[in-house]
Amino acid sequence: MLVVVPYLVQHPGSILAEVAELFGVTPEQLRRDLDLLFMSGLPPYGPGDLIDVDVDEDDRIWITMADHFARPLRLTRNEALALYVRGTELVATPGLPQARHLAGALDKLRATLGPDTLDAEGLIHAPGGGLAPEHLDTLREAASAHHRVLIEYYAASSAALTTRTIEPEEVFPNLGNWYVAAWDLGADAERLFRVDRMRSAVDTEEGFEPHGLAGAGRDLYMPGEGDVPVRLRLRAGARWIAEYYATIDAVELDDGSLELTLPAHRLEWVARLLLRVGPDASVIAPDALRDELSTLATRTIARYRG
Amino acid sequence: MAGEDRTEPLERLLNLVALLLETRAPLTFEQIRETLEPYRQEKVDSAKRMFERDKDLLRDYGVPLELVDVDAWGGDQGYVIPKDAYYLPEIAFTPEELGALLVAAQSGDENTAAERAVHKLLYGADGGVLAGLTGGPLASGSDARSELVLAVAAAAQGHGRISFGYRTSQGKASEREVDAFAMVFRGGHWYLVGHDRDRDDVRAFRLSRFTSEPEDRGVGTSPPPGFSAADHVRAGPWDALAEERAVIAFSPDVAWWAASSLTGATTIGAGEDGWVEVAVPLADEQALAGLVLQFGDEAVAREPASLRDAILERLAAIRA
Repeated sequence: MLVVVPYLVQHPGSILAEVAELFGVTPEQLRRDLDLLFMSGLPPYGPGDLIDVDVDEDDRIWITMADHFARPLRLTRNEALALYVRGTELVATPGLPQARHLAGALDKLRATLGPDTLDAEGLIHAPGGGLAPEHLDTLREAASAHHRVLIEYYAASSAALTTRTIEPEEVFPNLGNWYVAAWDLGADAERLFRVDRMRSAVDTEEGFEPHGLAGAGRDLYMPGEGDVPVRLRLRAGARWIAEYYATIDAVELDDGSLELTLPAHRLEWVARLLLRVGPDASVIAPDALRDELSTLATRTIARYRG
Repeated sequence: MAGEDRTEPLERLLNLVALLLETRAPLTFEQIRETLEPYRQEKVDSAKRMFERDKDLLRDYGVPLELVDVDAWGGDQGYVIPKDAYYLPEIAFTPEELGALLVAAQSGDENTAAERAVHKLLYGADGGVLAGLTGGPLASGSDARSELVLAVAAAAQGHGRISFGYRTSQGKASEREVDAFAMVFRGGHWYLVGHDRDRDDVRAFRLSRFTSEPEDRGVGTSPPPGFSAADHVRAGPWDALAEERAVIAFSPDVAWWAASSLTGATTIGAGEDGWVEVAVPLADEQALAGLVLQFGDEAVAREPASLRDAILERLAAIRA
């Protein structure tokens, strides 16, 4: 209430449901709190000393006699830092449309609160993270207009360039990369695409009905029916795989290596990964992966002889 | 006489804040008890306990409730909320800025402190802020929990010393004691940069590799003059600042994105077979060899010869 009241004083006639949404409470809770607010005020609590709250028949809120609550209270150090840290994460994401405004807001916050509350000068660094992927704007616009998009896509799981028609619903960044959650018409299933792996993206202007796919915050690994559980043992030089890919059932071994399962749509890309780490990883299962790896090594050596 | 639970906590807290904000002189607990009905219970002890709980609650929330001498002679002590410490200073945000802050607070995992912060800032918002609400988070934030990021950032802000369990990227687990200097956010990861006391050197620690909550070890030291936190977090083996260049040829299927995914790489041109040659900064030969190998038979290192040899040696070992 100490933060809601200042908002209500500054915005006479605010609609109850909107205020509830803005402050993350239910309309019922807000209405109950407003009833209690009506009972509060200053001694001697005569009719002229109490805060006057009125919620009219249109659910608009009117407050008077709340001068001492007309402005909100200060941010605590913890709150200011939490907001600053969160904001910094987003500012550092290339291609985020709100980044410029957010950077301006963080500067104002730091300047106004002063070093006693927020001493961020020289404390928090976010060196810019490269360029936004080329087709980001096309996808964002198509997603908001519900337009189908024709893409040429390099799928890491099959190591091949494919052409697909997708229905983009959510476009969001995760750990420095941009993703699109979309319905893949060819597969007639939900798929996640990395925007930087799209060679081309053309808005077909053809409309679609959204399936309600999840966006930011979702799990990036989508279990598929044809997934092969690849069991690997990673020594020191290959442990980064556990940090980089979605893995399950990890077990720390006494010698400092890590055993885990990497669910894979296709063995091809796991073979490439193993080609990279070489002796730092060994395959526990499936056997077919060892053959795949050996064949890939032979094909690659041939490139150098050619 | 009011019973213990007759009044709602919210009403009681609001009245307490209003009273202590508006009072000219600090009020003793006895005076507060006389004015505010909920504290006028028969048992002074339980009224006092309730007041203590309320006080803690308000302080957690950021209300600067202070205990000061009532007069210059140092007799009784009384409570007051100084107005200049209570009220948020005026900040003139544009509607776009406030909208962006609101969205930021709602990104990633649940973070009540960030949301409380932005709620306090909303009072000055134009009606337009609501229109900018997306109804959901905008990004997934980082790979470390907000709680941990916040605890470490707070230590860095106060130049504190912390200890924590840590597992290196190589898998070595140990207990670290670090004077926290700064935080760096790079490639979706948060890093703490600070002075590692056992190694007597400045090191960077990725927060997602912490294996325990940080423990407060008191006051740390300040960063040396000219300290730059970002210099201590490596951009990767294909460091864009490296002077030497390797030449890698990529197949037409991958060349278009391979070049843009390697920091500092520049395209030289396509050959008759459609393969594209790219100049890539070369800092760590073994690391670059690994990177090229992950493209399988769709990438070939052309120069330098030592890089080709390193790759062929690794391939031979796999086939053996």
